[in-house]
Amino acid sequence: MVLVLALGDLHVPHRAADLPAKFKSMLVPGKIQHIICTGNLCIKEVHDYLKTLCPDLHITRGEYDEETKYPETKTLTIGQFKLGLCRGHQVVPWGDLDSLAMLQRQLDVDILVTGHTHQFTAYKHEGGVVINPGSATGAYSSITYDVNPSFVLMDIDGLRVVVYVYELIDGEVKVDKIDFKKTSSNSSAH
Amino acid sequence: MHQAVVDPLLPPNLSSDSVSRRSAPEKGRFGDLRGLQWRINLGVLPSSVSATIDDLRRVTADCRRRYASLRRRLLVEAPIPKNGRNSPTLEMDNPLSQNPDSTWSRFFRNAELERLVDQDLSRLYPEHGSYFQTPGCQGMLRRILLLWCLKHPDCGYRQGMHELLAPFLYVLQVDLERLSEVRKLYEDHFTDRFDGLLCQENDLTYSFDFRKSPDMMEDEIGSHGNASKANSLDELEPEIQSIVLLSDAYGAEGELGIVLSEKFMEHDAYCMFDALMKGANGSVAMADFFSTSPVPGSHTGLPPVIEASMALYHLLSLADSSLHSHLLDLEVEPQYFYLRWLRVLFGREFSLDKLLVIWDEIFASDNSKVESSADENIDYGFRILHSPRGAFISAIAVAMLLHLRSSLLATENPTTCLQRLLNFPENVTIEKLLQKAKTLQDLALSIDISSPSLLLVGSHYQSKTTSTRAVSLPSESVSPKTPLNFIPDSYWEEKWRVAQKAEDRKQDGVENQVPTRKKGWTEKMKLRLRRTESDPPPSRVLSGQRGSKPSFRRSLLEDLRKALGAEENTEHEQHHDDILSEQDNLSEAVEVEQQESSCNSDNNSDDNCPSGNSGHEEESSIYSDSASPPNEANDHEIASEKNSAASFLSLDECNEALDTSPIDSPLPLSDPPENIPPTSVCNNNDQGNNQGNETSDTSTSVSPSPISDPSHNLPQTSGCNNDDEGSSATQPKDGKQNKFQWFWKFGRNTVEAISEKVGGGAAEATKSANIISNQSNSPPPASPAANGHCSSVSGRGDSVDQNVMGTLKNIGQSMLDHIQVIESVFQQDRGQGASSENLSKNVLVGKGQVTAMQALKELRKISNLLSEM
Repeated sequence: MVLVLALGDLHVPHRAADLPAKFKSMLVPGKIQHIICTGNLCIKEVHDYLKTLCPDLHITRGEYDEETKYPETKTLTIGQFKLGLCRGHQVVPWGDLDSLAMLQRQLDVDILVTGHTHQFTAYKHEGGVVINPGSATGAYSSITYDVNPSFVLMDIDGLRVVVYVYELIDGEVKVDKIDFKKTSSNSSAH
Repeated sequence: MHQAVVDPLLPPNLSSDSVSRRSAPEKGRFGDLRGLQWRINLGVLPSSVSATIDDLRRVTADCRRRYASLRRRLLVEAPIPKNGRNSPTLEMDNPLSQNPDSTWSRFFRNAELERLVDQDLSRLYPEHGSYFQTPGCQGMLRRILLLWCLKHPDCGYRQGMHELLAPFLYVLQVDLERLSEVRKLYEDHFTDRFDGLLCQENDLTYSFDFRKSPDMMEDEIGSHGNASKANSLDELEPEIQSIVLLSDAYGAEGELGIVLSEKFMEHDAYCMFDALMKGANGSVAMADFFSTSPVPGSHTGLPPVIEASMALYHLLSLADSSLHSHLLDLEVEPQYFYLRWLRVLFGREFSLDKLLVIWDEIFASDNSKVESSADENIDYGFRILHSPRGAFISAIAVAMLLHLRSSLLATENPTTCLQRLLNFPENVTIEKLLQKAKTLQDLALSIDISSPSLLLVGSHYQSKTTSTRAVSLPSESVSPKTPLNFIPDSYWEEKWRVAQKAEDRKQDGVENQVPTRKKGWTEKMKLRLRRTESDPPPSRVLSGQRGSKPSFRRSLLEDLRKALGAEENTEHEQHHDDILSEQDNLSEAVEVEQQESSCNSDNNSDDNCPSGNSGHEEESSIYSDSASPPNEANDHEIASEKNSAASFLSLDECNEALDTSPIDSPLPLSDPPENIPPTSVCNNNDQGNNQGNETSDTSTSVSPSPISDPSHNLPQTSGCNNDDEGSSATQPKDGKQNKFQWFWKFGRNTVEAISEKVGGGAAEATKSANIISNQSNSPPPASPAANGHCSSVSGRGDSVDQNVMGTLKNIGQSMLDHIQVIESVFQQDRGQGASSENLSKNVLVGKGQVTAMQALKELRKISNLLSEM
């Protein structure tokens, strides 16, 4: 059982001051084994904060990130799952499932996590999952103005992943859950 | 590996002494099955002899069921998310949930606990790693600990619990080994003896085999009947018979009731561990020793470990007071090492095979609370000593201390002392240790049960600490700092013996100071006469020779007194006398002091008089301060300690107990000087040579008419009677008193009491009774005398010389004060005499005055000398 936190598009301090307090109180060290972040943190302080939650931090580069060393895409394997990470602004049209599926095949991953649209979405697609965790701070984007802060926590256990979606709606944290089972035979089939 | 460790511990020939064991079924009903015996002793299984094997099986099955349900309930695997979106519990049951009741947070808590447990388990008994480090064993241990901790969240997991548990698992494993061994043995026996029953025998051995693999049982159930087995079992030796019955899969409760079962080792170990930790309704519950908060029923309000440590030192003081005092001197507090001994029940000090023998004895001791005759309302002393098991645990610890006695006594600093304590030698003969522990256990129990006095002492200590804490905080008394320094009475007896020589040498000084200033002069003289008549002590003669100068001076001053007839002055003079004699004593007292420095330091920490004794610096400050703060503190304390005469009586009983106990203590307590029992009350007249009698004096002087024989009551307290004068004294005298007071602060209580009685204050009489009982109940029964001379020398430890110098200076100063007073009186008298009286008388007075003035001049010289030192 591995817990993976996926979040992105924080835009601190340009579009948001900080993570919502409710999120911060939920995110405590010791529970999460990995953090994957799609980018646009944008400053080092946010990076440091995420490090305190879990030292195993994976970040791809966003267009507003101060840090330029982050890679454009990143893949990692957790348990039986292969995870791909990308900022998402490179994939046009933004947030388009087919384009994202192309990237998923390109990276050869089971789970693709992208950002940029600031809207939580999750698709089961071609034996894999395409997830956009949204903006953890609720920052506006060039497409959306009214954004609910959200992030995603994945519980990866064997061939099964449970995606918990945390969304802050009207000051209350709503939790949603998506179950996904990978059939061992079709692993990352194209 | 088990065999190697186990075999020496087991009775060599189990079938041969099975008969004798049968005759004494309580001792070891299942003597060779240690695990089973422990389960009975720990209260997991019924201990009554009448309990049949079926009963045992039923109880066993119940325990196992309980454990199984507990395990089902408490051990959470990672939560399996239910199918179906938006389940209502999702808000609560998600990995980031803050709700402590959610499965996820329980899971995280368990994981945390598991990590903690694993840290310890991975290091458990590395020398027996082939058993304890196997994944199966580790898993069992981990689950048991985890479950126990989850069941008792208030206690949680503490380091050391795993070492309490591991031996249980081990002995259960050993039992199983023994079982399989017996099976083989039984096989042999069977073929040897029952030739005619071969078919049955085959049947039986076969059944044994399949019991080893119970999954085959279903197939075999119909293949042989119980009846045929019973036939042959009746003819077997009872020992083997019981083993067979215990492991019979067809008895009561079926397979779950197999008392010796490999499958249910985990369950059984948990039950044993649980019984040990919770004490199974007994008084010793190991879980207490892992908690830092006092047990609800505790009277001392101290954590149980601390309380047990105090009990240990208490027992040690009874068994070997010199070792006890040595440890106290080094400030080796018992919990430094006893914590480690106690929490794992000596598991760290002995190798596993020896440990099992020790635990045999510990568990064999009854854990039930001993009902003492004292009624329930009375505060008890040490809880751990209330049950035979607790007493035995303490006794083992004391026996271990005694085993190290010589090396401990040789240590000079606490570090090496602790090193020796914490590296207990491995080559100790366990039988001797246990034997000693048993006698000590008897001692502990006899004290705890037979004399309620000890309980009172314990509670007295408690009240004392609280009272001193409450009252004497401003004077930074030692008690808050070291609240555990409980020193039982016998400790002071020991100190006395040490101080005996010193006292002898000082005796003449005491004699000199005997006269009581607070009475009228004539009365005082009478007393003195009486004393010299009844007691023409060699010491007095001695002092006469030695202090020839002072006596000369005294004669001069007596002339003066006659001339003046002024009561006040006589009192002054008396002080001078005392001071002089004090000076005489000082020089030799210094040597004494060096011997006694340790004694002093202990006085410091444990005295009843909180402000006067908490260290040398403080003492000197008191010296120059006014006497009122200590007085107040004392009064407060007196008030707070409502000790009636009854409590005093109990002290006497305690003394008796001490006298009867010392048989097995290396230093017999029944030394001549320590014959304290009530009979010694009448010995007071020759107190000059018997320190021990003085002890009894102070303690027995509480009797309803303490002043009936002033000559024996007063001598020891004579030095400290300043208080009485206080009201009439002039200013400089007051100062002097205050300075003087520190000499005698220990004895002051008594004197106060006596003087108040003499004064006849009816209301004060009760108070004085209180004072006396208070004083006599305070840890040192000897306090007035022993402390008196300890403190009179005032030097402490290394700073003796400095102290003496300071003392001398101060004495010189006070002498100067007095001289001035006397001189001023002289001036007045002379003036009056010259004007109003006739010539001849004038001359007479003048003559006396001249000699007096000369004497005063000399005094001045001396005091100048002194103050310049």
